[in-house]
Parts: sequence; C-alpha cells; structure tokens
Amino acid sequence: MESSKEIEERALAWLGKRDSGRWSEADEAEFAEWLRADTAHRVAFLRREAAWEYSARLKAFGVGRKPGVVPPPGEWRISPFFDRRPASAVRAALKRSAPKIAAVAAAVLLAVGVGLYQKMKPTAEAYSTPVGGFASIPLRDGSTIMLNTDSMVRVALTEKERRIELEAGEVFFNVAKDPSRPFLVEAGGRRIVAVGTQFSVRRSGTDIEVVVTDGKVRVEPKFGHGRAELLTAGAVVHTTQNSLLVQKKTPHEADEELSWRTGYLTFDETALTDAVAEFNRYTRRPIIVDDPRLSALRITGTFSASRVGDFVELLKNGFGLQINESDKEIHLNSKGSGD
Amino acid sequence: MDEPLHSWFKREVMIHDEALTRYLRRHWPHPEDIHDLRQETYVRLFESARTHIPDAVRPFIFVIARSLMADRIRRQRIVAIDSTGDLEALNVVVDDRPSPERDTTAHQALRRLAEALDCLPAKCREVVWMRRIDDLSQKEVAARLGLSEKTVEGHVTKGMKRLTDAILGEIESSEKQTTGREGGQRDGKQQRD
Repeated sequence: MESSKEIEERALAWLGKRDSGRWSEADEAEFAEWLRADTAHRVAFLRREAAWEYSARLKAFGVGRKPGVVPPPGEWRISPFFDRRPASAVRAALKRSAPKIAAVAAAVLLAVGVGLYQKMKPTAEAYSTPVGGFASIPLRDGSTIMLNTDSMVRVALTEKERRIELEAGEVFFNVAKDPSRPFLVEAGGRRIVAVGTQFSVRRSGTDIEVVVTDGKVRVEPKFGHGRAELLTAGAVVHTTQNSLLVQKKTPHEADEELSWRTGYLTFDETALTDAVAEFNRYTRRPIIVDDPRLSALRITGTFSASRVGDFVELLKNGFGLQINESDKEIHLNSKGSGD
Repeated sequence: MDEPLHSWFKREVMIHDEALTRYLRRHWPHPEDIHDLRQETYVRLFESARTHIPDAVRPFIFVIARSLMADRIRRQRIVAIDSTGDLEALNVVVDDRPSPERDTTAHQALRRLAEALDCLPAKCREVVWMRRIDDLSQKEVAARLGLSEKTVEGHVTKGMKRLTDAILGEIESSEKQTTGREGGQRDGKQQRD
C-alpha cells in the first residue's frame, strides 16, 4: 500500500506538473482519476495546494523589484513592504521622547533595519511611522509590535507591567507570555489587557477597534468601574466613548482583517467608499468619491497598499469609472456624470 | 463537482493543520506515525463533509484524531506503558489555544517562507523566485535561464515541496532526507576526481 508520504510526493508532482502550463486533456483526466481513486490522494493534494497558494504572499517581497532579476539570499528581506523608493528601505521614523538623545536618532533609524535597537534600553520609548509607512519592532520582553501607516505608540516596560499607549493609528501586538507582567494597551479611554496573545488595536480619536487573532484579551475602561469584556480569537470589537460592539469572526477572518501586516489590503464585498477610506490611510494624495451613487459598488480582492494607482486603474477599467487626477487628489466619478 | 468542498477544505480546515499536528504529537508516542494519522484524520473529515459540513471544524478534527488514536491502540494491542495515560487523556479533547505554543501567525509564516526560499539551492531558488514572485510562466523562466522546461518543472516541484514544508511546519524531517541524499552524491563524485 502507498504510504502517506508517497501520496504527498505524488501530490506535489501533480502540483508541479499543473503549474508547468503543459497540461493536456489526458493529464487532466489522469489527474481526476488519481483524485477519485482515494480520498487520501485528495486531501494530500489539497493540503499541499493550500500551502502553495499561501506562498503567494511572498509576492509582497517582490514589490518594487524588476521582474526576472533575482536578488541574492538574505539581501532582499529588507525590501520595504509599502512603497518603492529605495531611500525608504528603513521606513520607521523613530522618535525618542527624551530630546537629549536626539543625536542618536539617526543611528536608531538605521538600527531598525539591522536589529540593534534592542541593545538600547531607555525606559519609555516612542515609535512612529509616517503615512504609507510600516515597521515591525521587537521589544525587549520578546513581544513584537507592528505599526501600520501613520501610527504612534509609547512603550514603557517595567518589572510589574508592560504598558503601551497607542497615540494614533493601528498596531498589531504579538505578546510574549509573561504572567507576572500584564501587557496593557491604552487607547482612547480604554485599556486592553493581555497575557500572551496576538491582537491589533486601531484608534481614530477616541474610537477604537480591537481584532483578536489568538488567545484572550480583556477590554475595560481605563478609569472607573465600567464593564470589562473578555474577548477570544476571532473577536472584532468596535468601541466609541459609550458603546462597545463585539463581532464574532473565525480566527482566519480576523487574520484577514489584518492583511496590512503583509503589505496588502484585502477586501471582501467591501463598499467602494470603505475601500477608498482604507487606501487613503496609506497615501497623502487621497481618493475622493464624488458621486454618492458609487458607494453601492462592492470591491473584492487583494491589493498592494502602496499601489493606489493600480487600484484606481482597476476602477477605471473594471468598473468604467471616470478618473480625474490632480497633484493633491484623485477624484472618482461615474462615466458621463457631466462634469 | 467537488469544487466547493475543495475550497472549504483549503479555507476552513487547513487553518487548523498546525494545531492538529501538535495535538497528534502530544498524544501519540510514535512520531513516525504522525504523518499517517494526520492524513487519516483528513480522509475521515472529508468523507464526512461530503454528507454534512461540520459547523465547528476545529473540535471535530480533534474528535476524529482522538478516535483514530484510540482505534490504533485497541487494534494493535501494543499498549506502550507511556501511552496508556494518554489514552485516558484522549477522552477529553482540550484545545490548546491558550498554551504558549500558538498557531503560527501570518507574519511568522511569511518569515518562515522567506527563509525556506533563501535555503533553496541557487538554481532552484532563482526558478522559484521568477515563477512565484515575478509571476513568470515556467516556459518564460526556462527561456530566460536557458533551461529545458522539464528541468524548470523539476525545480518548481522541489521548491514547492520545500516552501510548503516550511508553511506546514515539516522542515526538519524532509530537510534531512534531501540533504543527506544530495551530500551522498557529491561525495561520490569527489572520490572519483
């Protein structure tokens, strides 16, 4: 009998063959027959196929590179996820709260790229990203924080607690487990408490959105004795000053919500106006939807966050929208709307 | 006709692949069986999904895995002393979400993937980069690199294996096998020289 490993080898051979483009009707028939012969074949194939499809995320690393020119191993990973200017290879503009160490700011900026920042040990640190920026920052406790566009946090690690203040924007937290030191994120009058987990917090003014991709977190008011809400993986929470709305999604869907971490924005039947608002977070030249009727359009797909132009092009060709670009803004109109 | 089931499997089941492997490793004392057990679990899940797609996939996967392990122990009647305790523990399906080893995040997976890509043999890496990142067809890659299409397909298949191994957390075992074999060939050649 075929072993499970032999079956996987065969599954991989089919996958490679199908990828070759030399795939005849006879191949198709033979393949279908192979799948039919045994459910073990089918599941082995699907398992590898799913993983291979997932590997498409590597494309994030190819952004801004010339096709057909393969960079040497190791060198390409510093490739910025979010735009194509080589000068911005190190994108996180790190700001220090203490002005006296401003002199090392340049060194710190460099350090983000090479991972030396861990050696510096100030007690409170501030990190920020410009519009269109992105930064992944390891903290001394082993946690990692990923800053999305136009974001700022202050980090204070003490022996009793790990306290993060989210001043603006959106940050994903991958929290190292440490039961003796709770991990607190404060944003807009709320506090999110985690022990070892993964979640993101996005803030606009005092409204916050929390997406939990793993483990459990607690959302509670920063001051006073309001209700505390315990959230598990898949929870998406929107809060305003006085309200809190919990949506339950699968952990996978929650993960998709945070696709910005790979440099892409994922939309699934998203209203055009929402998709545009999302893109506008990454650009200084915002897209404006002039015709309110356009908000009925639904967008589905994955787009590079840095390539607003591609997105606009798609709207033009795919939906037949009229595009008017100026230096400051990009205007969207339905065709023949007259102006 | 199986298309919807296929995409269901890839979307809703595969996200638990890592947790299933971990569950099996924890409860089954013979690592060499894990591969089989996992495949059998998926076979049963898939067969059952043909009649009815389960609402809660993750617990269902664990239930199947548990019953497979219990079957094996009963069938083989070789109850290793250290696994009897596990069989009892098997009666309780505990999801390990709150444990420190967690499902890999998108970010970790991407890094693993990047590392696996860099660890490929030079030619294979070049082929996979052009095919997967630059989106060139196998034919175009062959033309650019002056290789036969058959050779390119070989490289792609090998790259697929290594990259999917990395995503599926199967780096260790397969890595050893392949490097072992390659190393052997090289040694043989050197002796000849």
